[in-house]
Amino acid sequence: MSEWSSYRLEDFIPFTADVYYRLLERMGEDFWPLHLLTLLLGGVIIVLVLRGRARLACLLLAPAWVFVGVGYFMLRYGELNWAGQDIGWGFVLEGIMLAAVGASGLGIDHAPRFKTLPVMLGALLGVLGLFGLPVIAPLLGYGWFQAETFAIHPAPTAIMTLGVVLVALRGIGLWVAAVIPLAWIAISGMTLLVLEAPWAPLTFTVLAAGLLGLVWKTVAGLRRLRGGGAPA
Amino acid sequence: MTTNTHAKTGRRQFLKLVSTGLAAMAMSPVLRAAPDGLLRKAIPATGEQLPVIGLGTWQTFNVGSDPELLDARTEVLRAFFDHGGGLVDSSPMYGSAPDVMGYALKKLGVPESLFSAEKVWSPAGGSAREQFQQLAARWGLPEFNLLQVHNLVDWRQQLETLRELKAEGRIQYIGITTSHGRRHREFERVMASEDIDFAQLTYNITHREVEARLLPLARERGIAVIANRPYDGGRLIKGLKRSENVPAWAREECGCQTWADFLLKFIVSHPAVNCAIPATTRVEHLNENMRAGNKPLPSPDCRRKMIRHIESL
Ligand SMILES: NC(=O)c1ccc[n+]([C@@H]2O[C@H](COP(=O)([O-])OP(=O)(O)OC[C@H]3O[C@@H](n4cnc5c(N)ncnc54)[C@H](OP(=O)(O)O)[C@@H]3O)[C@@H](O)[C@H]2O)c1
Repeated sequence: MSEWSSYRLEDFIPFTADVYYRLLERMGEDFWPLHLLTLLLGGVIIVLVLRGRARLACLLLAPAWVFVGVGYFMLRYGELNWAGQDIGWGFVLEGIMLAAVGASGLGIDHAPRFKTLPVMLGALLGVLGLFGLPVIAPLLGYGWFQAETFAIHPAPTAIMTLGVVLVALRGIGLWVAAVIPLAWIAISGMTLLVLEAPWAPLTFTVLAAGLLGLVWKTVAGLRRLRGGGAPA
Repeated sequence: MTTNTHAKTGRRQFLKLVSTGLAAMAMSPVLRAAPDGLLRKAIPATGEQLPVIGLGTWQTFNVGSDPELLDARTEVLRAFFDHGGGLVDSSPMYGSAPDVMGYALKKLGVPESLFSAEKVWSPAGGSAREQFQQLAARWGLPEFNLLQVHNLVDWRQQLETLRELKAEGRIQYIGITTSHGRRHREFERVMASEDIDFAQLTYNITHREVEARLLPLARERGIAVIANRPYDGGRLIKGLKRSENVPAWAREECGCQTWADFLLKFIVSHPAVNCAIPATTRVEHLNENMRAGNKPLPSPDCRRKMIRHIESL
């Protein structure tokens, strides 16, 4: 593995910022006006999970991951990055896992405590992924088609999903469902860092918030199991 | 610009090889200026003349299937060949860059001066031979002039296949690459012990570690040297252009009118270096870079002064 240790972060970003933003834009152009539908779908998912319909929320998230895996990674991003096909398969796998969780109910948190930090963080991340990410590009003066949208572009899909699973799942199931979204948020942050995008720090803040929520919820769950109180 | 069909390429390269092979006595690159003004140096293994400025494709040529960007890169390549440019360097690691080369060469035709340089890189999947075949199809060429082991990954096994391909006449030259100063000890061992024609490494005015061992070794062993990252990935030239003027003495004494002249002439004036391969997305930058390959080149004294100047900034 000494070969890999000699690589740097920038070695894995084989495109320029212009080409990356153009890819986001092409995705936006090619699928408009699907955005309206995916925003609606995202809104429904957030409402469902906050009303305790976690299984249905997971089931509805699943096609978004498969769509982004195939439409974004395999058919477009894969042209620019030799690792794109594998990442695409990772997204498809996440879709399958979410569908399996939704169908089986495994790992579902049947009694999420709405006033606890992980659930509040989850709701915040869900809303950020769904409504916050799409406005970054237009606010920074890029075109509307570069607006990154849930179920069309990977970053908002991953952030929104991380938020939803923080509310909906618990235990090992929570970690399993969160690994791929977390990994993509990290890769996406590193990509933006190399491309010197001004909003790269936001991605790392989201990553840190997600990890905090996961650890908090896990520790709280373990304490409850042992009969102790949850962290304040 | 000639627009030979791909089928003619094999015969052309064979003739080129025979004619240049006769002149293949020199063990280190010898400078020659061609009628287009672009300086050329001999590849030690054969004596074949190679223009001192080539073209990299990392990031810059990875534009996927975007028609606008495909045409924009074709124009960069057109300008490169108009200047008499030769070596174009790519890799299976560079996303769609080999496809973009295929697109551009189909549009422009395959010019006489093209010196195609590709790489094999195990993480991209498939054997070295499969990668060679896929890359050749992507460029739309029957063969490559040079095939290199990218970043020394699995170099023992890969060099074996490269040697077979060379023996079969599918490639003319074989080589190894590194960059960013990585794995120089191992690189040196391979240069010293293996029969290779080319070594590609990072060499620019702010990264000169290779002057100590690798460049002298290349001269000793008759290995042609390609200098990658001549602008340190762009940071160097962009920083200089933003904040500094080319000093008057460099214009008068070293023939450097632009920062591209300053940085590239410094590299290719090293006696062991055959060519530098700056990458660019822009025709105006390409023009500037190619002009740096014209006479004059800085003298050893001038080179020392250039280093002192950059270190003083
Ligand atoms: N291990 C390996 O085998 C290895 C590793 C690294 C590199 N390489 C090869 O070496 C090539 C060169 O290295 P590189 O691409 O990393 O870096 P580089 O050539 O040092 O720098 C490329 C950057 O310089 C800018 N540039 C070029 N000409 C310019 C000019 N006249 N004025 C201002 N800016 C200019 C380009 O931006 P614009 O688009 O704005 O011009 C581009 O961003 C690579 O493309 C690749 O083929 C090989």
